Amino acid sequence: MNLKQLYKLLLFIVLIPILSSCFEVVEEISMKNDGTGDVVLTINLSQSKTKVASVMLLDSVQGYKVPSKQKIQEELNEAVAYLKKSEGISNVKSSSDFNNYIATISFSFKDVSNINNITKNILAQHKIKATNTSSYIYNRATKTFNRKYQAIGTAKTEFNKLKAKDKAVFNGATYTSIYRFESLVTSSTNPASNVSKSKKAVMLKSSIIDLINGKINVSNTIQLSK
Amino acid sequence: MKKILIAISLFLSFNLAQAQDLVKKIPSNAFTVATIKGDNVFKLMFVKDFNESFVGKKLLTETSKSLDKNFTSIEDFGINLEKNMYYFNQLSDSITYNCFLIPIKDAKKFESLIENKEKKFTQQGDTRTMVLPDSTSIIKWNNNMLYFVTGSIRGSFFADSAKSARYGIKDIRFQSEDALAADGVTLLADSTVAVTAEPMVEEAAAPAIAKAKVQKKPTVKKNTKKAVATKKSRKKKTAKKAKNQEYEIIYPEAASDSTGMTPVRGLVDEQYDAYQQERAEQDLKKKRLAFTWMKAQADQIFNGTYESIENNKSYTASLDNKAIAELWVSSLQDVYNSVAPEFGTYGKAGLMKGYGSLNAKLFMDNKSFRISTGLELAQDQADSYKKIMNRKLNKNFLKYVNSEKALGFMSYSIDTKAYLEEFPKFLKQTYGSFMGARMDEEIELGSDLFSLLLDEEAVSKVIKGDALFVINGLKSKEVTYTTYEYDDDYKQKEVTKTKNETLPDFLLMFSSDDHRLINKLIKYGIHKNMVTVENNIYKIQEKKSPIDIYFMIKDGIVFFGNSLSEMQSINSNQQNNKISKLHKDLLSKNNFSFLFNAKNLVGKVPDSEIGGVETAKKFNSTLEKMGNVYMKSNPIKGRLVSADISAEIPNGHENALKYLFSLIENAAK
Repeated sequence: MNLKQLYKLLLFIVLIPILSSCFEVVEEISMKNDGTGDVVLTINLSQSKTKVASVMLLDSVQGYKVPSKQKIQEELNEAVAYLKKSEGISNVKSSSDFNNYIATISFSFKDVSNINNITKNILAQHKIKATNTSSYIYNRATKTFNRKYQAIGTAKTEFNKLKAKDKAVFNGATYTSIYRFESLVTSSTNPASNVSKSKKAVMLKSSIIDLINGKINVSNTIQLSK
Repeated sequence: MKKILIAISLFLSFNLAQAQDLVKKIPSNAFTVATIKGDNVFKLMFVKDFNESFVGKKLLTETSKSLDKNFTSIEDFGINLEKNMYYFNQLSDSITYNCFLIPIKDAKKFESLIENKEKKFTQQGDTRTMVLPDSTSIIKWNNNMLYFVTGSIRGSFFADSAKSARYGIKDIRFQSEDALAADGVTLLADSTVAVTAEPMVEEAAAPAIAKAKVQKKPTVKKNTKKAVATKKSRKKKTAKKAKNQEYEIIYPEAASDSTGMTPVRGLVDEQYDAYQQERAEQDLKKKRLAFTWMKAQADQIFNGTYESIENNKSYTASLDNKAIAELWVSSLQDVYNSVAPEFGTYGKAGLMKGYGSLNAKLFMDNKSFRISTGLELAQDQADSYKKIMNRKLNKNFLKYVNSEKALGFMSYSIDTKAYLEEFPKFLKQTYGSFMGARMDEEIELGSDLFSLLLDEEAVSKVIKGDALFVINGLKSKEVTYTTYEYDDDYKQKEVTKTKNETLPDFLLMFSSDDHRLINKLIKYGIHKNMVTVENNIYKIQEKKSPIDIYFMIKDGIVFFGNSLSEMQSINSNQQNNKISKLHKDLLSKNNFSFLFNAKNLVGKVPDSEIGGVETAKKFNSTLEKMGNVYMKSNPIKGRLVSADISAEIPNGHENALKYLFSLIENAAK
């Protein structure tokens, strides 16, 4: 047995409790009254870093190929390059921390609806047929911020096709969305959402499993004071 | 037919029979012999218990239903449950026989199983014979035994036209037989290939020719213009080839691409039909021949006298009267050579040279399941193995196994020096014949070079050849992670939190008498900042690694592990481990051992890490049902190397067979 094989064997043993892992997906949108704003998307796998670090040393796990650090960085760069070309998007930045396994992408937009095209195009690139699954509209006149969301039906069926072992990866994974405004929030229609003490931000936290299964809907209409 | 199949599958599903008796009926040249020992099986579980078990009930009700009878006991099938039931096969270059020998207690009961309106068995004396409807199998029985044989002709034999001609059989081919049988459309789409791949047309008999000629005309008339054009050009191409044949075969190129081509397709279909018919005739001939052979074989088994497998030493040596079931395969080398013609040219290469018969035995008792496997080696190979295996595990390793906590271990011990010395021989044996005689000198040269370059003695001092890997339980370790907190304005703030992670503590040991090389490596590592040292304990500085790995050398043992505290206690001689007898025996008596103790894992991994309470519950209950599972190699006996795999059954179960039945029942629920 050479050292590499030994290492793999050890990792395999370490991975016995691989059944679950935790990760966070955070989406932050800061809206200005004029309709422009900034977005920060974060994926944080740091709670599972031992497992991720182990998995990264393997070629494949549970039948899936494990991407290399370079491959992940490449994909991230591609995303940045794509965003830079997108209409209404500027100031694109990304960061990646391979010690804690956190990656972020941030950018500014002229109008929040610019994001809608991006999602649509990205989905199309990955050959996912999705119509209006998620969209943002900000009405400057009425000062309403509208997030429309519809669980992608196919996501649920595809997800249910996964092996229990693979599904378990999503146990404990969370999705957080934060919308920040310059004006005060007067109402937020989604009952799962919370308005901050300062009344200038709305947060919604849910588990990714609930989101995939459509148990939680993140649609929201937020009314700002005029 | 269905009833007969059911009857037969019934026999196969039980094995009854210990039999000094029926084994006499197995010819000494049988290739494989499998036995199920009825008396041993029904010692573990009375027939009555079996009938009342979930599996038994299911079997009885299902058979009752399909045979329209009312069975209340497996004894109703007429089989002698106290004797052995056998399967064996016989191979020759032309036919393979698969045979079953089943002891009969009550022939009347058995006959009632296969009885139907057209009772088709014949009787001669007290021997009854029944031929299965498609003549592929024969059943013969009397008041004591039942013999079932099914024979299959070997394709490779009749591919040899000289041999097949002896039996008046022709080997005909249309295209690739398999491709055709699988999908007629493939043939049409690929008609060019079909034309060129017709080497056996000379064999085509009269009916096929006649049909092909008749079909030609109407096809041309019906064809669309395009098809005709295509066909003409095709004709030219095929003309030459077809010259010395009695007829032309016209395969339109574009037959598959439009509906207008139906007539053309019809032609090919007709020709294909003709071919099919011809083939069917040849197949029928083969089948008849197989049947004749089978019949002779069955008569021989039933009434003939011949040398029995009982006189085969290799077979008798493989038996164990405590086994529930046994399997014996005469010789891997023979198996390989007999199937090899179908594999092509490597057939006689003797890849399996040096390997003799193979056996496997299944045991069940009140403690465990055990499968024991053995392989006979050629004498010189056995001698080599003996030299290599002439080492015991370092006794000092045992001090570091904590049986109360250990989740499992794996050990091996070989003599490195002997291994390195014998290695070139194995290489030569395996690849020498593979490469052909011409390579002998080169291989010899390579072997010598290997020995010259390696100082076997010196290597064996650095790595003596024994190693033990043990997991002495789980340990929870605090790890930090980054997450977010949100202020009153939901402004994100990155915070570092800690959580506990459960990781197994492993320890790997190997013996080494000469540390000079290892010490040099360590020095190099320290110099390059790959290794740090504190109180004789070295730590590998590998950023990518999710776990810390420490190592040290003490009393001629090199230790690797991920628990600093364990390393420290080894270093200061403060280990206070107790090893159980089972663990001690496994490790000290065998050259190879493996053990997994699931029970020590139950409840040790926090639910949150398994993926929630429910998953954890399932996980733990599965583990709880598992006893120790272990594997070991046995010392080499004569020319036989063997190994055992055992799985202990949990407490509260009478024996392994009953436990198995309860598992099946649970799984079916």
